[in-house]
Amino acid sequence: MSRRIGQVGWAILIIMAAVALLAPVLAPYDPYATVGEPYLAPSGAHLLGTNDIGQDIFSELLYGTRTSLAVGFLSAAISIVLGAVIGMAAGWFGGFIDRVLMKLTAFFMTIPFLPAVIILSAFTRPGIWTTSWILGLTSWSATARIVRSETMAVKNKDYVLTIRAMGAGSGYLLARHVVKEILPLLLYRAAARVKSGILAESSLSFLGLGSAVQKSWGAMIYYAQAKNALLTDAWLWWILPPGLCIALLSCALVMISYSAEGKLDRRLEVRT
Amino acid sequence: MKQKLTHYLILLAMVIVVNFFLPRWMPGSPVRTIAGEDVGSLTAEERMGILEAYDLDKPLYQQFLLYLRDLFTLNWGNSYSKRQPIFSLIGSRIGWTVLLAGGNLLISSVVGSLLGVYAAFRRRSKGGAAALVASAAVTSLPPFWVAMILLSVFGVRLGWFPLYGAYSMWGGYTGLAAVLDVLRHLVLPLATMVLTSFMMFFTTARYGALQVLGEDYIRMARMRGIPEKRITRSYVLRNTFIPVFTMVMMDAGYLLSGSVLIETVFSYPGLGTLMQEAVEARDYPLIQYTFLVSSVLTIAALLAADLLHGRVDPRMKEVAELE
Repeated sequence: MSRRIGQVGWAILIIMAAVALLAPVLAPYDPYATVGEPYLAPSGAHLLGTNDIGQDIFSELLYGTRTSLAVGFLSAAISIVLGAVIGMAAGWFGGFIDRVLMKLTAFFMTIPFLPAVIILSAFTRPGIWTTSWILGLTSWSATARIVRSETMAVKNKDYVLTIRAMGAGSGYLLARHVVKEILPLLLYRAAARVKSGILAESSLSFLGLGSAVQKSWGAMIYYAQAKNALLTDAWLWWILPPGLCIALLSCALVMISYSAEGKLDRRLEVRT
Repeated sequence: MKQKLTHYLILLAMVIVVNFFLPRWMPGSPVRTIAGEDVGSLTAEERMGILEAYDLDKPLYQQFLLYLRDLFTLNWGNSYSKRQPIFSLIGSRIGWTVLLAGGNLLISSVVGSLLGVYAAFRRRSKGGAAALVASAAVTSLPPFWVAMILLSVFGVRLGWFPLYGAYSMWGGYTGLAAVLDVLRHLVLPLATMVLTSFMMFFTTARYGALQVLGEDYIRMARMRGIPEKRITRSYVLRNTFIPVFTMVMMDAGYLLSGSVLIETVFSYPGLGTLMQEAVEARDYPLIQYTFLVSSVLTIAALLAADLLHGRVDPRMKEVAELE
């Protein structure tokens, strides 16, 4: 069962990735150009109508896939690499390094995530790169903590002790063996991070803190709300679809991480 | 005990230091981020005047000391977008956020963990996998979007609940009517928060209960013929709630985060809306102090939970005493 859930997740993700790649081919209009009257209701010409400045909402939606996926994966990569390096260093070397790194980790676990991301975005000029870095830098702490305890366990495994006794250095052991042991854990964490990254990016864009030049699902909702689409019928084609896209994509990632986790600790088959 | 207090004090100190350096390290001149965006159009003299007024012409360590003095004497300066002292501004908003986030914490944790335990008992039925998929779907919903949908359906179309705010501005209600008025305004934001956060408790409780159900002492209790009801109540529930409680503790900050988005949609006059308004106006000092206050709130929640932990789980007390 957990395998089937994972397959569905992968299928959705692959379709979304294809949409992102093929957006220029699939989109009926240039999403950045004014192609019709503003505030048009859905019709044959404009599947989801047009927005406040006459851009085609359906084309915007297709292009938005790019931003969500890019920020989701970039921020997750930054977050996982940081968490893995810090966690491995703390767990492997112990002592003073461990204490300092764990205080830092505790600090990042304590500060409220979204307010921190908001304040950093307000101080910088947001774009795909900046937003990804901000999200990555503020979300590695939980990974670091788990990696640390896993590293400490690996450190005392017999085969690691043996290789060590044969004269292998820390760098070699960490890069060759510890990484290999914690890789499944990292991949599972990565899926969860991509999902959080996507949700966070849309939240920032919704608050008007996203990139000004890139189409994004969160930003679409931001403009729709600013133009009071909620009070008219326009919310059905202007607010509902981008939100569903965000939900669908992040749901796919949760499903992938569930199935990966199922492989890790047999979530569904706990013995009775 | 002492160790824990030091730990949280260090965290608090880190937050305070970061808050000082943030506008000074970020790209762009600190004059802009501390005194406002209009600075660009000022003459050199006016600029110097501002540097002096905000002590930006002094060496860094002096600036830091002055910052500490102002911080602890609650002299947080004025918000230039709202033309009000920042401290009283935040003071007037904080209660609403605590009401919203606190109410959510209470409802979500109870509803989430009861459902989680129920799902664990029914794991063999088809519902188990369905519950897993449902939880994947629910945790994927963007909170601000759920807020907008609820607002649109129950506020705009059905007209059951007010569209914005925390109370009727010109309602002139007193006594019980005023309380009901506040509750009516609370329903939609609170429902959104519960909907988007109870799943965290559900998953933890379900997983915790599954583990407890697999323990030997449960099988032993069954063999001894202890009624199933009592096993559920005194063995399973009690042991499941401990991990849930730990999670509540760890996620206080996360729950506070969620309220930023939801408050914004409902124009609920809490810290979240204040922060969003500050961001819109690029009112950096106000953004910073709302961030500082949210962080302090989170640290306080963590500390409180940590202190209560020994009461919830007596085993923790023994560990603490051994240390």
